[in-house]
Amino acid sequence: MSNIWKSAKLDFSLVKPYVKTICFTMVLPVVFAAINRSLLTGISFAMCFIAMTTGYTFSITEKNSMERLYGILPIRKSDMVIGRYIFIIIMGLTALIFSLIAHPVILTILGESISIFDYISAAVTGIFLFALYTVFQLPGYYRFGSIKGRVFMYIPVAGFLITLLLITKSPVGESKLLFTVINFPILLMLLAVIFVIAMYVVSILVSIKILKNKEM
Amino acid sequence: MNDYLEVRNLSKSFEGFQLHNITFTLPKGYIMGLIGPNGSGKTTTIKLILNMLKRTSGEVKILGFDNIASEQEAKRNLGVVFDSNYFSDEWKISQVEKSVSAFYENWNTQKFSETLKRFHIQPSKKVKELSKGMQMKLMLACAFSYDAKLLILDEPTSGLDPVSRDELLHILSEYIEDGEHSVLFSTHITGDLERAADYITYISYGELFFSGGKDEFIDSFRIVKGGCEELSTDLGKKMLGIRNFSTGFEALIKTEDLKQFAHLNVEPATIDDIVVFTSKRGEQYE
Repeated sequence: MSNIWKSAKLDFSLVKPYVKTICFTMVLPVVFAAINRSLLTGISFAMCFIAMTTGYTFSITEKNSMERLYGILPIRKSDMVIGRYIFIIIMGLTALIFSLIAHPVILTILGESISIFDYISAAVTGIFLFALYTVFQLPGYYRFGSIKGRVFMYIPVAGFLITLLLITKSPVGESKLLFTVINFPILLMLLAVIFVIAMYVVSILVSIKILKNKEM
Repeated sequence: MNDYLEVRNLSKSFEGFQLHNITFTLPKGYIMGLIGPNGSGKTTTIKLILNMLKRTSGEVKILGFDNIASEQEAKRNLGVVFDSNYFSDEWKISQVEKSVSAFYENWNTQKFSETLKRFHIQPSKKVKELSKGMQMKLMLACAFSYDAKLLILDEPTSGLDPVSRDELLHILSEYIEDGEHSVLFSTHITGDLERAADYITYISYGELFFSGGKDEFIDSFRIVKGGCEELSTDLGKKMLGIRNFSTGFEALIKTEDLKQFAHLNVEPATIDDIVVFTSKRGEQYE
């Protein structure tokens, strides 16, 4: 078993006693999906909520002064960081799969029909939002700890609002590139996936650098 | 390899504190006490050894491996016990084993179970349900389970009752019996060292004061006592620390300077005496 995987497993054992609490946060987005009669809305909320719980590993580590345990384990700091990202991505994917099953069931009961395209677009949007939250948040946690680092979660929200504002103020219709992307959903999804991978690579590299320079 | 731990010219600068040129070696099969008053740099030294702090300069080798360039190899056979436990409070003891054992190839589950039994730790208990002494034993049980060759303990006895302290010292003495294990043991409870340590490294205000054999350390100093009229200028120059009373004084001097003051009442110094007198840096106090 590689050290990265061992590190991810260690992180899982940290949050294991809190699994019920984390699962509970997945219930509320089901209600949102039902109220809005929209899979996309439900998934977006679910991924936002699960992204908020990624601070658990950092909070538990701080609460128990476990940075000392991480400091004595025979493992590279880069492996620790990648392991934590992998664990958090697995958490996100688990939440996504749960939501992609639970939300359509509720929506179908309510009489809504859901197409394959709805599924795919909700999944890609969910992954993108989760990535957007966590790529800022995790380096923030590594640098400032679980309380101060939480503020980094609001960066993508602010960025999202600014982007919306800029789009509404600018002549979107004149941008040929933007027009092409918006009208080809598959291209849009492909770009989203590439963008997610690129964001995680940069975020991981930043976190590794922060941890290597951090004094415990 | 004879030396399990080599620290050479280790320095670290903080704002308001500097650890300066710390050098010592810990041979295989021995216990070394790392002593000094609070804030002298003991924990900083240990954290630098563990690469939890970035050194300003110097070199550290753990079991022959550089602690930064070969960090993984260096830590593979290293056990560490801090003054408080570093496991999640919510973990059961069995979960501690599951979480930690994966990182050590030579983890021996049977040995872990036996050690827990010997230490009277129930595997079904949660870490938070253990007393401080038991938590310390749990950290030791982990280190023993992968046969850590070098054990580093940072103030393990602080907060322990005398019975638990005695038990710990007994465990450590047993641990080095085979001549294949070593212990670096930081403490300010010097009574523990009188019993267990073979070597002493004494750090005072970030500077290395002494590193060598315990007996040599104790033998290097004497306490001289006398009346107020016997406190001469010569003695003032030679003494490393003094305690004044209304009827006289007692001072710490180096044994090599003893001949000049043979007329005074001379007593052997304890480790405590040496630390207390030298930490006062010659200041007089009532």
